[in-house]
Amino acid sequence: MLVKKRARFAYLMILPSMVVITLLTLVPLLDGLIVSIQSQDLARPDPTRFVGLAHYSRALIEDEDFWSSLGRTLVWTVGSVVGAYCLALFLALLVNIDIQGRKFFRALFLLPWVVPEVSTALLWKWLYGDEFGILNFILKSLGMIDSPVLWLADPALAMPSVIAVQIWKLYPVMFIVLLAALQNVPKELHEAATIDGANSRQRFLYITLPFIRGTSVIITLLASIWSFQNFDIIYLLTGGGPAGATKVLATLMYQKAFWGSEMGYAAAIGVLMLVVLLLISIAYLFAYKVQKD
Amino acid sequence: MEFKSLELTRRSTVIAGLGGLFSLGSSGVNAQGQTALTFWTVRLNTPELSEALKSILADFQKANPSIKITQEPVSGGLVYPKFIAAVRGQSMPDIAEAFSYHPLQFAAMDQMEPMDDIIALWKSNGTLDNIFSEFAYKKFFWKGQYWGVPYNLDIRPIYYRKDLLEAKGIKPPKNWTEFQAAAIATHNPSTGNFGAVFPAGDFHISQHFYMSFMFQAGGGILDKDGNLIFGTKAKDANVRALTFLTDLATKHKVTPPGIAAYNTDDAHTIFVQGRATFGFGTGAVISRIMKENPSLFDKVGILDVLEGPGGPANRLNAGFYNPMFVWKHSPAKEAAKIFIKWFIQSGRLEPLYRAAPGQHWPIFKSDIASPRVKGNRLLEEALNKVVPFTTDFAYPAYGRPEMGIIDGEKMFAAPVNEVVVGTKTPEKAVMDAHAKMARLFAT
Repeated sequence: MLVKKRARFAYLMILPSMVVITLLTLVPLLDGLIVSIQSQDLARPDPTRFVGLAHYSRALIEDEDFWSSLGRTLVWTVGSVVGAYCLALFLALLVNIDIQGRKFFRALFLLPWVVPEVSTALLWKWLYGDEFGILNFILKSLGMIDSPVLWLADPALAMPSVIAVQIWKLYPVMFIVLLAALQNVPKELHEAATIDGANSRQRFLYITLPFIRGTSVIITLLASIWSFQNFDIIYLLTGGGPAGATKVLATLMYQKAFWGSEMGYAAAIGVLMLVVLLLISIAYLFAYKVQKD
Repeated sequence: MEFKSLELTRRSTVIAGLGGLFSLGSSGVNAQGQTALTFWTVRLNTPELSEALKSILADFQKANPSIKITQEPVSGGLVYPKFIAAVRGQSMPDIAEAFSYHPLQFAAMDQMEPMDDIIALWKSNGTLDNIFSEFAYKKFFWKGQYWGVPYNLDIRPIYYRKDLLEAKGIKPPKNWTEFQAAAIATHNPSTGNFGAVFPAGDFHISQHFYMSFMFQAGGGILDKDGNLIFGTKAKDANVRALTFLTDLATKHKVTPPGIAAYNTDDAHTIFVQGRATFGFGTGAVISRIMKENPSLFDKVGILDVLEGPGGPANRLNAGFYNPMFVWKHSPAKEAAKIFIKWFIQSGRLEPLYRAAPGQHWPIFKSDIASPRVKGNRLLEEALNKVVPFTTDFAYPAYGRPEMGIIDGEKMFAAPVNEVVVGTKTPEKAVMDAHAKMARLFAT
C-alpha cells in the first residue's frame, strides 16, 4: 500500500516534466509530419493543400540531390564518429595513467566542447585559409608544400576538412565518457593479466575493450545521431560547396525550407532523416545485443 | 462579507487590467496610448549603422510622439529563416527592410500590404521623378499592385589599383578585352599580387558578379515580359559571360587559388590588404579601405562599367534597390506607412551614408550630389561610373517573385562555383541552372 502510494506520488512529481518534454518533442514531430503531406510551398497559393506522399516520392525517386546528400551525410557521420572515437579513446587511455598534471590535461581536452559552433567554424575557416591560414603557413615553412592546400575549395579535400572540424568538436564529450568508463575497469584484472604474461596490447584487447564496450556503443550511437543532424559546421564553413561536395541532408533541408520556401518538401526530408536515424539506431543496438549474447 | 467583496474587487481589477493590456497589445497600441510598431532591419545592423539609425528613429519619435517604433536587428545570414518562420507563426513585424525580392516573395504568400498609395503620393509630389531609375520601384510591381518601396541601393563595383596599372603603363580598362589583359599583365606571384580577386564560393555573392557580366554579354535571366531565357535565348551570352569570369581563375590563373571557398569578406580582405589589382566587391570596400588601410585610398579607383560583347547598350552592372514593406496583418498599417513616408525622403538617411561610406547609396538624384559624396573621391567615382548603370537580375523584366527563390537558392552562384572547381563546363553549368529555374517557373 505504501509502495503504491509512493509510486503514485513519484508519477505525480515527474508528470509536469513529462508533459513539457512530450509537448516539446511530440508536437513539433506531429506538426512536421502534417507539413510534409501538405504543399507548404510558400511561394504558391493554398499552402495547406493536401499532397499525400508527393514530397516523399520527389525525394526518393526524382531528386538526385537527396540521394547524393544522403550518401555524403553517411560519409560525414561515419568519418566524424570513427575519428572522434579513436582520438577520444587514445586521449582517455593517456589521461587514465597516473601522471602529473592529469587534471590539467583533462580540462584542456574538454576545451573544444565549450567553444560555440559559430566560433568553431570561424576559427577553422581562418586556419584553413589559402592566403591567411596558419596550416598552409606551417606546411609551407616546413617545405612540405609549394602552393597553398585548398582545404575548403577543393571538392576532394572539402569533406575530409569539415570532418576534421567535427572530430575536433565531438571528441571531448566522447573523451570524458570513455575516461569515466576506463576508470571503472578493475585494476586487479590488469595486474593479474600482467602476472600471467599478457602484454599491453593483449590487456587492452581482452580486458579494457570488453569492459568499455557498452559505454562505447552508447556514446558512438549518440555521436552518430548528433553528427547526422549537424548543420552549423558545414553551413558556416562551406555552405555545402564547393560544387556541392559537402552538401548533406541538413543543409539540403535548410536550403529547401528557407531559401526555396518549400516547407513541405523540407519537412519530408526531415522525416526521412528521422527514419534513417531510427533504422541505424535499431540496427546498431541489435548488433550490439547479438554480440553481447 | 466585506472580505469577500474586497477579494472580488481585487480579482476583477486584475482581470480587467490584464484584459485591457491584452486588448491594447492586440490593437497595436501600447500602455502609453502610443501606436506601437516593430521594425525589422537586416542591412542596418553594424555598430556604426545601428547608431546612425537610432538617431534617425529618435528624430521620428520627436516628430511623431503618438507612434512608438521598436527596431529589431535580424542577421543577414538568418533573414530567410527568420521571415519564413514569422510568416508561418503569423508574427511578422509591422515594417521591415530586407533583401531585394522579399516583398514579392512575401506578396506571393499573401503577407504584404499594397503600397500603391505611397507610390501614388510619390508620383504626385515628384518623388518618383527624383529616383534614379524607374526600375527601382517598378521591380516591386506584381499582379497590378506595388508591394514594396525602394529606400536604398546596394552596388557591386570593380575596384582597381591605379598604381599597379600605371607601373605597367596600362590605362584603366573599359572593356572585357582590356580588363583581361590588364589582370594578366599585373598578376605577379613573386610579389604576391593577384591580377583579380572575386568570391566564387557557394554563397549568394558569387552570382552578383556573374550577373554583371551576363548583362554586358547581352544575356540575362528573364526577357522583358518576364519569361525565363537563362538557358534558351540568352544561353550563348550567359555561357560566354560565365566563361569570361571563370577563365580568370581556371585558364589565366590570376586569382587566389582558394576563391572557390571565398565569400564576400574574403575577397574584400585581399583587396583591402593591397594584394590584388582588381577586386570585385560591394560598396562596403570603400569604408573598409578608409578604416583598415587608409594609405591605400589614393591608390584605388573604381572602374567604369565594362563594355562586353553586348555592346554599349548593355553596359550594365549588378546592384539592388532594397525595399521597405508592411505586413498585411499589422494592426497598425497606417502608422507603418506614416513611418515609411517620413523615413524615405531626400536627405533623411544622410546619417546612414555618413556612418558607412559606400555601403549604402541613396535612391534620390538630389542626394547624390551631397558634400559627403563630393568630398570623397571613391564615392564620387562610384556615383558617376557605377550607380547610373545599376540594375538587378530580373532586368529587363519587373515583378517576378521567383527571383527571390532563384537568389535564395543560389541558382546562378552554383555555375560560378562549379566551373571554378572544374566539376562542370560553363555550358553544362548554365543548362543545369536553367533546368532548376525552369522547374520553379513551371510550378
